[in-house]
Amino acid sequence: MALKEEKVIVVDADKCTGCHSCEMACSIKHFGKNHSYLSRIRIQEFRDVHTFVPVICQACEDAPCVKVCPMNARVRLDSGAVVTQDDKCIGCRACTYTCPFGASVVNPENGKTMSCDLCMGDELGPWCVKACTMQKALKFVRAQDAARAKGRDMARLIAEDLMPPKQDEDEFSFSFSC
Amino acid sequence: MADFHGWRGRRLRLDMTNLTYVIEKLPMEHYTKWVGGRGLNSDVIYHETTLGMDPLDPAAPLCFGSGPLAGTFAPLSGRTTVSALSPMTSSVMGMDIHGHGDTNMGGAFGPAMKYAGYDQIIVKGKAAKPTWVVIDGDRVEFRDAGHLWGLGSKKTTIKILEELDNPDVRVACIGPAGENLVKFACVINNMSAAGGRTGMGCVMGSKNLKAIAVFGDKPITVAEPEKFMKQCWDLRDRIHNSPSAIRRHAEGSMDLFDVGNAIGINAYKNAFAGYMPRIEEVYGGLQWAQKFLFRRKGCWSCPVSCGRYTLIKEGKWAGYHCGGPEMESNCNLGCRIASYDLAGVNVLCGVVNDLGMDSISCGAALSWTMECFEKGYLTEEDTGGIRLEWADIETSLKVADMIAHREGFGDLLAGGNVRIANKLNKGLDCVPHCRGLEHISVDPRITMGFSLGYAMSTRGSDHLKNYSCLEFPGCAKSRAYQIEEIFGAEGAEKFWEDFPKEMTELDTKPVLCTWSEKNKCVADLVSCCCQAIGSWGGAGSWKEAYYPLFKLITGTDMNDDDLFKAAERVVNIERAVWLRSGSGIQDDTHVDRFFDEGVVDGPFKGKKLDREKWAWAQQAYYKCHGWDEYGFITPEKAKDLGLDEIIPDMEKGKEICKEWLKSDKQPTTPVFIPESFRK
Repeated sequence: MALKEEKVIVVDADKCTGCHSCEMACSIKHFGKNHSYLSRIRIQEFRDVHTFVPVICQACEDAPCVKVCPMNARVRLDSGAVVTQDDKCIGCRACTYTCPFGASVVNPENGKTMSCDLCMGDELGPWCVKACTMQKALKFVRAQDAARAKGRDMARLIAEDLMPPKQDEDEFSFSFSC
Repeated sequence: MADFHGWRGRRLRLDMTNLTYVIEKLPMEHYTKWVGGRGLNSDVIYHETTLGMDPLDPAAPLCFGSGPLAGTFAPLSGRTTVSALSPMTSSVMGMDIHGHGDTNMGGAFGPAMKYAGYDQIIVKGKAAKPTWVVIDGDRVEFRDAGHLWGLGSKKTTIKILEELDNPDVRVACIGPAGENLVKFACVINNMSAAGGRTGMGCVMGSKNLKAIAVFGDKPITVAEPEKFMKQCWDLRDRIHNSPSAIRRHAEGSMDLFDVGNAIGINAYKNAFAGYMPRIEEVYGGLQWAQKFLFRRKGCWSCPVSCGRYTLIKEGKWAGYHCGGPEMESNCNLGCRIASYDLAGVNVLCGVVNDLGMDSISCGAALSWTMECFEKGYLTEEDTGGIRLEWADIETSLKVADMIAHREGFGDLLAGGNVRIANKLNKGLDCVPHCRGLEHISVDPRITMGFSLGYAMSTRGSDHLKNYSCLEFPGCAKSRAYQIEEIFGAEGAEKFWEDFPKEMTELDTKPVLCTWSEKNKCVADLVSCCCQAIGSWGGAGSWKEAYYPLFKLITGTDMNDDDLFKAAERVVNIERAVWLRSGSGIQDDTHVDRFFDEGVVDGPFKGKKLDREKWAWAQQAYYKCHGWDEYGFITPEKAKDLGLDEIIPDMEKGKEICKEWLKSDKQPTTPVFIPESFRK
């Protein structure tokens, strides 16, 4: 079976600085207006300890929101994104109750739910990810790479114990230069 | 009523005496004239105060202003300006003369104000008891702040967030310093983002207003969304690819230590030494990040996130964490008191911030005391047994707390350096200040643009008014096209002839400062960050960075010249607050010591200010602005800017100024005033 082609948004909360650029990008992209309430990604703040967690639809493989929707309005697109079809949604918000991340949110303009649509294949990619270029708290990667960065970070902790002592590369450069 | 985009078209007036509020609609003409943020505030400060008014008078206004870009996708747009008559500043004519005061803070307060539907909040009156205010869109509620009184800014914010149970609330509050009317108390928003200078927290405290919590659900619309989005991405891309932005992201504003010390401009020992040995080893941006960086901190919608959150990992202070510091905090509470104990300095920064004091003025108060002890001007008898020696962090922490609570000697220091020196009649020569506000860390004897900027600033000595960063060789080189824009082809040639020595000469500075002053002002008007068009400068100048965004979001028919002229109008109205009290040329100057004493060490050892040259620069600067030889706004200039109403005030002020100059009255601290004006 071929590997999945779909790309997903990976969150590294440790890198989030709480600037809300992603919210502003999402809001203006989808509504042409600016407000966090219009954004499908939300930064949850724990300000007293300066810690921020971006919450966004993880497009679960076995998505509870798809199962729970009484109108079959929650669907998976070819891109992998799980979205609400406005014409079918009755605004019952069952998906907001069942989402384990609280990532399916209510569109305050029409009362129906909304979640990340990966900007529907926009040439810039998902706007929130692009807005986070410097912080890199959000990345858009192939599904099989989702755990790569985290895995490597954790591995480094183990590897540091196993590594030989650091050496000055210049000091030993003779072995390569002669 | 015109449809507003970007702007909200409304402002909120809070009456603390009667605990009532009024929502005012503003006409489009008002915005065309004052644009936003600092401009809206400065209009109120001039027009709703009177000559001789005490800044702590209940009738004096305190304004929070944000501009059309605040709270939008436009990058760098999280800034808010807080303005009032400044209790901190004074004139050389007397301590009771106060001028325009304002301070610009990051964080997210301005955006939240916009979401609530206001461009500006004006506070007047005085509550009978400590009060805080909740603003939820059109609903305003005054609540008792008894349980918050006495708390630091962080705890206050946490309690309010808990009480309202809404994580989207943004809080601007004061710490104990503001409550106790410390003259340099600041306003803190978003836990640790400080509106530091000129004592705005003191004014807030005088109204018994502990905090304002604001939120709302009104989205900000855009006149031309498609073009606006494209322009935002364009600017964001420029920032993402700017090496200086990447460095600022990595090192925070602490990257300036390395640059600053290379040209010898960091405050050391009360800002008179001019150079601190080994500074880059201890204070450098990368070293700081490796040792203390817990996480970066971003103002609203800013991709750079130059803010820091500190965690002390080892040693005596291990486990302490706090928001900040910025480079200026570290420098003024560190280098300025000659400390190499960076962990301790970070703690001091955190504590001073939490107490709600301006870290620059607080550092100045501490270092003034230290120098006075060193010179023998002060003894333990004056201070109630406390001895402050250079680099003593422990005692500094104690004294900072005493200042905030106005205990013992701290009560005196809480008045600011010029006031205390005058009161004790001691250490008058140890106060580096202009208009009663102490200098920041950059030595005014070396970089002449900053030097002129301090003296001419509309809020007292500070770099963030005439932010003439283009004088720094690195900035000038990377933005050479701006030099030509400012000086013209011929002037630019002259500029490059003297480069890089040019930085230390006054010749080009009147022109540069006049331009930079307006450049910075535009950023404040639209509520964007001045660093992006100043110190790291990766966004270009106001014209490339902010004008197109401003135009596209508001759909205004103002062209770029109109915006630049609005900036000039704002600078003039701020200065007019000083001028009407007679404070002109006698305050546009530096203390004698910078003319007499050279820099003690470093690449510019021995350099000092030149009196003759300074007198020339004053006049040249006035000329650039179209002011007269006393630095007063001429009737023609006032008319040109649409400020006809200030003309009588200017005439009266000029009489006061002339009378004082001709009298044999001595300035409150020894400053240079050109001889010809004192005859």
